[in-house]
Amino acid sequence: MNITAATTDDGPLAFVLSGRFDAHEADGFRAAIDPALGATEPHIDIDLSDVEFIDSTALAELVRAMKRCRERSGDLRLLTPSNPVRVILELTRLDAAFTIV
Amino acid sequence: MSVDAASPLESLTGALVDANDQLLALYDMAAMRTDSLDETESVDQILTTARHALHTDEIVLLADGTDPADCDATYSASVKVEDPSGDTATLHARRSSAPFTTGDTKLLTAVANLAMSAKHTARMHAEAVERAIVSHEHDIASTLVQQTLPSDRPQLPTASLFARSDPARTAGGDLFAFAQLGPKFHFVVGDVSGKGLPAAIMMSNVINAARGCFTHYGHEGPVAVLDAIDAWVYDSLSEADLFVTLIAGQFDSETQMVSLANAGHSPVHFVHDEVATPLAASRPPVGVLEGLRCEQLDIAVASGDRLVIASDGFPEQADESGEMFGDDRFESELTGLHAGARNFGEQLFATIESFAGNAPQSDDRTLFVLDFEGAQ
Repeated sequence: MNITAATTDDGPLAFVLSGRFDAHEADGFRAAIDPALGATEPHIDIDLSDVEFIDSTALAELVRAMKRCRERSGDLRLLTPSNPVRVILELTRLDAAFTIV
Repeated sequence: MSVDAASPLESLTGALVDANDQLLALYDMAAMRTDSLDETESVDQILTTARHALHTDEIVLLADGTDPADCDATYSASVKVEDPSGDTATLHARRSSAPFTTGDTKLLTAVANLAMSAKHTARMHAEAVERAIVSHEHDIASTLVQQTLPSDRPQLPTASLFARSDPARTAGGDLFAFAQLGPKFHFVVGDVSGKGLPAAIMMSNVINAARGCFTHYGHEGPVAVLDAIDAWVYDSLSEADLFVTLIAGQFDSETQMVSLANAGHSPVHFVHDEVATPLAASRPPVGVLEGLRCEQLDIAVASGDRLVIASDGFPEQADESGEMFGDDRFESELTGLHAGARNFGEQLFATIESFAGNAPQSDDRTLFVLDFEGAQ
């Protein structure tokens, strides 16, 4: 999986993920995103439009990051999930827990 | 004129004896490396032999930055060495009998390398032993945790039951639990996120919570059971950054009703008239957010109906080419073969194993099946 980070001028920090997001990628995702979770009111966007597959370990990483953001009065949004990711989010009803744009 | 011919000869003889002693000492030191795997003992043996061979008053191997103790010896020699892992040390040798020769320095270098190599070997051995102990304890813990899954299958009055869980490793996060209380058969099936021992430990917590909740909340229905389990395990799941997809259900053999409460678990299917219908979850998994409510789904069952609850290890299993089994193929396997839940369940496991071929098991696989026989 590839992870690229971008900071917009007035918007949230954005991470663009592509490829398979599974247990093997959890450490890399955590290393990339954790520095941003310590900010005051962290607002983070995760672009999932190019993610081909996501498993429960990866979903747990997204949930962990979302909860850290909300604990600090911020949020983590999922941007344009690919079809395989959207299906998993719907099956698990995690679409009701995340802000999906 | 008298000529003292004995002195050069004795000197030469003495040098030859010393050289021979040093050679024998090298043999002894080389042999010692295999005699002991204790770091201190092996290094001490090498330095003791070197002390005798080189007639030193003192010979010590010290980590860099550590100075040797004061000594009255006239002559000294030091050799710095590095082991394969990059650790460095200095061998300090001191004596008063004679200056250190070039040959002595070469032998000191060999001694220093032998001692460092012995330290490195002893350290690697200790680490290997530690890893073996940890691995052994991990295996025991995994086996014990996996035994939390119920081994008995109750005989139900008007249905047959199949339940089996195959972890991808020694232990996994998939779970099921059940209890027959009067005419009602209570059950939960779930999947803790993640893999291995951490997920398995949480799995055992959920099973223990479920067993307690069947007794105390079962009469209120599966939503109450699921809510109670949620309250029981939410904090520990949240602290571990885990969640569990969980479906709680009950089958009443008197009313022939199945009731379900599903927190993010899939795949779940109800098969009626040879049509498999997926049953959607009504809330996110347990451990994601606090205070979420679940909706109850009630289904009147008839003879020939089937409830199939699996874990994602079935549809997400890949074959040798990397193609996944998939939701559609899984759904197509759920009809037919009405020779009881056990035959159906074992056949479905055989199908997925055949599909996987030599591809590794990608995730824990759990299958829970109720085949309904109708009112008696």
